[in-house]
Parts: sequence; structure tokens; C-alpha cells
Amino acid sequence: MPRFFQRRPVRIIGIALIVAVLLIASLALGSLKHYSPQNYIQLILDGLRAGSIYALMAMGFVVVYSVTGIINFAQGEFVMLGAMICLSVDAMNLPLSPALKMIAAIAAGVLLTTGIGILMERLTIYPARRSSAVTLIIITIGVTITLRAAALLIWGADPHVLPAFTTLALEDRIFRFGGVMIQAQSLWIWATLAVILILLYVFLQRTLIGKALRACAVNRRAAQLMGINPSRMSMLAFALAAALGAVGGIVLGPVTRPIYDMGVMLGLRGFVAAIIGGLVSVPGVVVGGLLLGVIENLAAGVTDPAFKSVVSFIILIAILLLRPQGILGGGEKSTEEL
Amino acid sequence: MIQKQINDQGGILGPDDIRHPVTIVIYDDKTSNDDTVSNVNRLISEDGVVAIVSGTSSGASVAEIPICTENLIPCISMASAASITHDSKTNTEFKWMFKTPQTNGHAGQWQADYLKAKGVTNICILYTNDGYGKDSLANYKAAAEADGLRDIFDSSYAATDTEFSAQLAGVQASGCKAVEIGSTPPVASLVTVAVRNAMPNLIITSGHGICNQSYITTAGQAAEGVVFPCGKITVIDQLADTDLQKPVLQKYITDYTAFTDGEAISTFGGHAWDGLTMIVQALGSLKDGMALADQRAAVRDYLETKIVNWPGISGVFNMSATDHNGLTKDSLLFVKVQGGKWVAFPQKDW
Amino acid sequence: MKRIRSHGNAIGVVLFAAVIAALGAVDVFRPFGLRFSDLTGRIVTMDTMIRIGILTIVVVGLNLLMGYAGQISLGQAGFYALGAYASGILTTLAARHGILPGIADTWWWAWLAMIAGMILTGGFAYLVGRPILRLKGNYLAMATLGLGFIINIVSGEFPGLTGGNDGLTEIPRLRIGGFALWPMQRYYFLVWGMAILVIVVAVNIVNSRVGRALRAIHTNETAAGTSGVDTERVKVQALVISAVLASLAGSLYAHFQSAVSPNPFGFTVSVQLVTMAAVGGLSSIWGAPFGVATLFVISDLLQSRMENVLHIQGGGYEMILYGILLVLIMIFLPAGVTTSGVEWVRRLRRRWARSSGVETV
Repeated sequence: MPRFFQRRPVRIIGIALIVAVLLIASLALGSLKHYSPQNYIQLILDGLRAGSIYALMAMGFVVVYSVTGIINFAQGEFVMLGAMICLSVDAMNLPLSPALKMIAAIAAGVLLTTGIGILMERLTIYPARRSSAVTLIIITIGVTITLRAAALLIWGADPHVLPAFTTLALEDRIFRFGGVMIQAQSLWIWATLAVILILLYVFLQRTLIGKALRACAVNRRAAQLMGINPSRMSMLAFALAAALGAVGGIVLGPVTRPIYDMGVMLGLRGFVAAIIGGLVSVPGVVVGGLLLGVIENLAAGVTDPAFKSVVSFIILIAILLLRPQGILGGGEKSTEEL
Repeated sequence: MIQKQINDQGGILGPDDIRHPVTIVIYDDKTSNDDTVSNVNRLISEDGVVAIVSGTSSGASVAEIPICTENLIPCISMASAASITHDSKTNTEFKWMFKTPQTNGHAGQWQADYLKAKGVTNICILYTNDGYGKDSLANYKAAAEADGLRDIFDSSYAATDTEFSAQLAGVQASGCKAVEIGSTPPVASLVTVAVRNAMPNLIITSGHGICNQSYITTAGQAAEGVVFPCGKITVIDQLADTDLQKPVLQKYITDYTAFTDGEAISTFGGHAWDGLTMIVQALGSLKDGMALADQRAAVRDYLETKIVNWPGISGVFNMSATDHNGLTKDSLLFVKVQGGKWVAFPQKDW
Repeated sequence: MKRIRSHGNAIGVVLFAAVIAALGAVDVFRPFGLRFSDLTGRIVTMDTMIRIGILTIVVVGLNLLMGYAGQISLGQAGFYALGAYASGILTTLAARHGILPGIADTWWWAWLAMIAGMILTGGFAYLVGRPILRLKGNYLAMATLGLGFIINIVSGEFPGLTGGNDGLTEIPRLRIGGFALWPMQRYYFLVWGMAILVIVVAVNIVNSRVGRALRAIHTNETAAGTSGVDTERVKVQALVISAVLASLAGSLYAHFQSAVSPNPFGFTVSVQLVTMAAVGGLSSIWGAPFGVATLFVISDLLQSRMENVLHIQGGGYEMILYGILLVLIMIFLPAGVTTSGVEWVRRLRRRWARSSGVETV
């Protein structure tokens, strides 16, 4: 029975063991490159930052998948849209102070992307809700292609700049401790992840509508019999996923440079994080995301960075083949049920 | 995906030949190898063109080598990799391939000379994992070694990457004092920002792939102080009046601005302009009533033998049987980013 | 009943082959100075027709896998790449490094390389197929996607073997003895000859015992399993066949393009292949050439017409149209345009028959 929040101490210990083995391996390889402890700390910190974004994306995958059984390829495009809309609004000539304008831009980014998520569900998923998994995947791919091409037309092929939250300028504040640097934006990202996690917990556990959503995830038919409208829940799931994606894109924006095709690789990595976490548990995929970010960065650091994306795909295939229910708990909702 | 540059160039040249109207057929290659080759095939067999200016990426240009060679048609590429015109197996130039951009070898030489003057001995090279980047790496390395510098760490990234901590960890651990970047924007800007954030004191040099205003716009403050060689068009107001290229460049800028309603000048447009102008000039030398195949051969011979001391946008060309590019290191000028703009940075100021 | 169907298929094959041959003959004989591309208002050229033929072979394989066995693959471009690289590497590197003198420079070496590529790719598909096909639906989609990505990235590395990102060039043209299958007009016949052969074989597979087993799996895998179908084996067979076909197409591509690089085998291509299969009808072998052609024609139309007529750049609009088309087809015509079209004609005919008082079923 899938549950959004689960604790599996035994499995956590297993993870710790795997991490330890990987760390030793990377230490051995890293020594060939003369890595100092600072290098490792830096790699891990940056990995945690990237991983937080993967985690936000993975939550979007989980929400949609649990409620509707669909892998939503367009999740990465929500991230792109969030960042792009936010920076467009921020670049507008509004009679507001920079800080207020930023807040307005963030709100616009999240709300508009959520609207696009709802539209997507109503226009493409709802009419085809009875189709097979293959059909639904192809539909979400079609939406992905459309959104990305539209973004290319609207925002062009060049990357854009979203100001860092702390300075509201292009240049961020950077903290340096003995050779290790942390951008202020990283702190914003981690804080956002924590807040989102708490909000999501409260929403799913304490509110009626959140409980309905969970009920739908547990058993759609039973939920329907209890008077929950699964179509409304599906719409809600897409809205939630779009909002999560948009938030991810907005907090990530200042550390990269948002570009129309940024959603491709982010989406895939978010999915890998979701798979690591078992696709049904929110805390599971958060750990999965952080883990993926760190592993990917360390592996790339100690070997050849050219293979960075190969690492995540190898993890993906390995987990799918060996433990499709995810490393972290998860579920009895195994592949057989799909 | 969209090479808007391709479209930008088209009309400026228009039908302007004296003896015969010249039609320029334009297709969008979308920087896809398949589309490029498909379009080259279309140009050769459907449109029956005399010569082709095609290939904005090194990969696409390399993909069209067999087609141009087989159909005995002169092709001028707008990408800079050595492998476009140089056959490494026979160590000769491909008979039908030409290219107009300044080469990465020249760019590597400028950077190595600068770093040597700065007293740097150990350098790192970061490059994009594509044709341009890999060609840059090979050339930068060779140029650095010729100047007695040592490449102690090099690493690549994909053109779509946004995280570079793995590459930077290597740079940091290797302890080099300067980084040479072999990339084009947007990723070049992202790398510059990442290097600046992690190691503010490192010298950053780059190839001429970043001579594009979008590089500075995207990199912002981080671009300040980055030095690199660049085509003369970017610093035209700082050129000496005696420069052979100056009148050509001025005319090009006026025409281009008028045609595109003041769009920013891109170096890509210049590479295409050079190629097309050369071909148009070669066509002007043809006698009436030649068969298509003869015309193609005559244009090729003209390009190889008659383009001597020829001032274009990308430099002063001197083509020959052993050099189908015809540019030297002097086709590039060394510049520095200062106050969000390119400023000439001649050798005496190093 | 069955005889009638195979009879109909035979007529279809002959008709289709005749049309294809006639189109090719136009370019060979040039009646009244006409060329093939003139027939299509210069939108579809010989070059495009050959590309359509090559991708038809891949899409037929995808049809068998997705439409009949119901197993999705978002990594088909990976198998396509394996074939192209097998041909590219074997025909250029062996000659360059002087390996196998006297063999590597004969005309049949390229054909041998093509077969070797098919065997290698099929073997690879068999090895990965067993574990991967245990997965279903979404999971299988993502696993094949990952596989395609890995092949694509790895093919850009190891420059000594694969030529890195620039890839390999100067792949020789195919010959039979002293007869070169080039210029393009000759290659056209080779590619379409192969494509029609592949269609015929695939139609026969579908109508055979294996085909029935495949369809049974698609409808209900558990039921198929309990009624004695070795589901795992049949699924792997479908994957291997589709991989071998993709490899064949890849080799034909390599000898056509005379160059291979990672660029034309990325994730987008896998998605395009699935789109083509979907447009033609996932479970319609005959839909494959039409699905492929539809997308090529749309792309060429947008490229050659939109810019001249509407003065806008084709790229972005083309992809938007692509995406919307894909979504619309999957929602409204999940059986594909051609299948739905045939269905529609049949229904019309039935209505007509009923109104004229003759009952047909």
C-alpha cells in the first residue's frame, strides 16, 4: 500500500552503507587527481544543491504518478516555464521596488505555470484518461515538445538572467570558508526545499483535500466510491506538480541561466531521483534527489565529467532492473500493477 | 536549433552580380547534421547551384565533406575546426572544402602568447564536448606546448550543462594559474561565471567562439577581465585607418544594420559574407556558356588561386593549395572585456 | 477469410512496389525532362524519399514492438545508431589501419559489415531485452530511454573508434561487384527494395503464430501467459527483430550519408520515430511508410514554404505543430491516421452497402 510518508530505518542504514562504499571508491579515484578535502566538500555541497532541485522535480513526478499512474514527461518543462515567466515579469517595467517586483515575479511564475499544468491536464490528459500507459506517455511527450518549442519562440535560443534573491542583482553573495564556497542562492534553495516539504506534509496529512488526494493515490476506485472525484484529483495533482516544478525553476534560475531547453535533462534527472525514491513516497524521493545530486557530482568529479549524464542513466537502469520499487522504501505498488 | 544567423545573412548580398543574375538559395540547417546534408543534396541536385556556403557547426561541416567531394562542388564552411578542410590521413587539404572563420590554431596561439607574457607556466583547458571544443583543445594544447606552457588539466562538458563543479574541482586541485575556455555561448558564459565564482583570481582566456555580445550579457560581471582573440569586426572603431579590412568592415556594418534594422552584428554573418562574396567574385570571372560542372571546377580553382591578399570580414585571406582557409593569426585581434564591452588589448599593454 | 486477406496483401505489395518503382523511374528516365521532385512541387526530393525509406524500416520494427507486442521503446534511435556505427567503423577503420587486407577493400565487405551490425545489434538487444522487458509501461519507457541516451553519449566518446563528436566520414558507397549502387537514384531502389521486403516479412510475422502471440500479449499479458504463450520469449523476439531492423536501417543510413556522428541519433530522434509510428498507426505495418512520409512532408513544407510565404522561421513552429499533432493523434486516433482512415472508409462502405440492401460483415 503506497504511503506518501514512510519510515524505513533499516533501509536507511543500507543506503548509508552504499554511500560509504561509494565514498571510499571516489576517495581512491580522487587521490589520483590530487583532490583535497575542500574539493570533496565542494563537490558534495554543489551536488546537494543540484539534488534539491531534482528532489523538487521528483516530488512533482510522485504526485502525478501516485494519483493518475502517469509519468509526466512535461515535468521538466514546468521548471523551465517557472523560471522563464518569473524572469520575464521581473524584467518588466513595473512601478515596484526591486524586492516587491521579485516577489510579484515569483508569484506570477508559480501561478501561471500552475495554470499551464491545469490546462495541460484538462486538454490532453483528461480526454485520454482511459488510454494505455504507452498512449499517455506519448501524449505527455507531445506536450513537452509543444511547450519547449513555444518557449523557443517566446524567449529565443539564448539563455536569460534571473537575479539572485539575496542581492537582486546578477552577482550573488558568496560565502567562502577555507577554500569552500557557498552561494547565497544555495541557501535559498535548501530553505525552499525544507519549506516545501513541510507545506506538502501539512497539506497532505492535515487538510481534507490533501487526504482526498492521498486516498486517490491509495485506491482510485475506493476513493471514487467514497465520493471523491478522481478527475478533480487528477487536475489537482497536475496543478501541484506544475507548482512544484515552477518553484524549482525559480530558485534554480539565479545559479544557472534559464534557457528554453533546460527542462530536458532536469526532467530526466528528476525522474531518476523519483525512481530512486520508489515513485510513491515524498520523503523517499527527496532523499533520492539529494543522493543523485551528490553521487552524480562525485562520480563526475573523480572520473571524466563527460560521463556525468551517463552516471544518472546507469543508476536509472540499474534500479529499474534490480529494485523497481526504489531503494528507499516504497512500495508494494510494484511494476506488476502498472 | 534555429540558426537565425543563416537567415540574417541572406538578403544583404542579394542578386548583385554584374554579368548574370545570381540567385542565392537559402535553407535553414537547424544545426542538425541530417538537415545540413539533406539541404546540401537538395542544393546540388535540385537547385543546381555552382557553389555552397554551408555548415555553421563543425559536425555538420564534416558531415558534408563526402557530399561536396563526390559531387565535385566547392563548399565553404562557416565553422572553424581543422578537420573541415584538412585531411589528416593524407595530410593535405580536401580538394573541394574551404572555410572562412579564423581557426582555433590562431586562437590558441594568441592565448598561449598572452599567458607566456604573463609568466604562467601551468594552464587548464575547459572545452565543450563537441567538434568546436575538441578542435579547440587540440589546438590550444599544441600552441601552449610550443610556447613552453604545460596543460596540466583539461576537462569537457556538454553544451547543455549548467553545473560545472566536477570540472572546477579538477581545476582547483591541479593548481593551474590560468584557464583557457574553448566554447561558444551560452555554455561559455556559464563556465566563465562558474570559474569566477570558484576561483576569482584565476586568469581566464578564451577562443574566438565567444565574440558575441550575448556572451557578455549572459555572463555579466564575471566576463570582466576575460581576454581572448576576436575578429576585427567587434572592435572596428579601435582599428587603425591603414588596416586593409577597415573599409570592408565599415561597409558591411552599414549594409547589415540597414538591412536588419539595427540587429546586433554577429561574426557568423561575417563568415557567410566572406564565403558568398568570394563565390560571387569567382562567378564574375567565368566565361559565358560553361557547363555546370566546369563552372563548379572553375569556381574552385578561383577560390584556391585567386583569393590572395583579399580583405574580408574575418581577415585578410590568402588561399592556396595547402591552405583552404588562408587566414593567419593576425586576422584576430586580442581583446579584453571591460565595462561590458570589448576593448582592444594589444600586445604592448600585456 | 485468411486467404482473402493474404490475397489482398499481395495485391497491396505489388501496387505499392509499382508506385515506388514508378516514382524512382521518373528520376532515372526523366520523361519530358521531368524529375521526381517536380511531381511533388519540389517539396519532396529524392533525398527525402530515401530518408523516408530508411526510417520506414525502423518504424516497421517499432510497429512490431509497440503496436503488436505492446512494449514501448523510447530508445530505438540507439539501435539505429548501433547499425550505423557498425557499418561506419568496419568499413572505414579496417581499411585505414590495414586490417584484413584483401578483404576489407572488397565490395562484399560493406555487406558483411551490415550483416555483422545486424547480428551485433540483435545480440545486444537479446542481452538487454531479457531483463528490461520484465518492466512494463512507464518503467520500460524510461529504461529504454536511458539505454538510448547511454548509447548516444558513449558514441560521442572514444574518438579513436567512433570519431568522437565529429563522427566518421568517407564511408564508402555500396557496390555489388563492379556495379555501384550510387548515384542516389540507384540507392533509392536499394533502400525501397529493402523497405518493401521488410514490410512483407513483417506482415507475414504478424499473420503467423508469433504475431498472434504478440497480439495476445498486447491485449492481456497474464491471459496470454496462462494460455501457453511464452510471453517473455515472444517479447524478446519482438525486441530483437525491431533492433535488427533498426540496425539494417542504420547501415543503409551510414552508406547514404557517407558519414555517421552522434547528432542524428539522439533522444529527439527516438521520439520522432515513435511519433512516426503513432501517425501511421501503432499496429499497422502498412502505416509505417505513410507515418514517416507525413512527418517528413510536414517538416519539408514548413521549411521550404513557411519561410518564403509567411516570412517566419520554420524551426519553432515546426516543433509546435509536431507536438500538437502527436497529442491530437494520441487522443483522438490512437490507432493512427492510416488505420483510422481505412476504418472510416470501411464504415462508409458498410453504410452504403446497408442502404443498398446488401448485408456485409
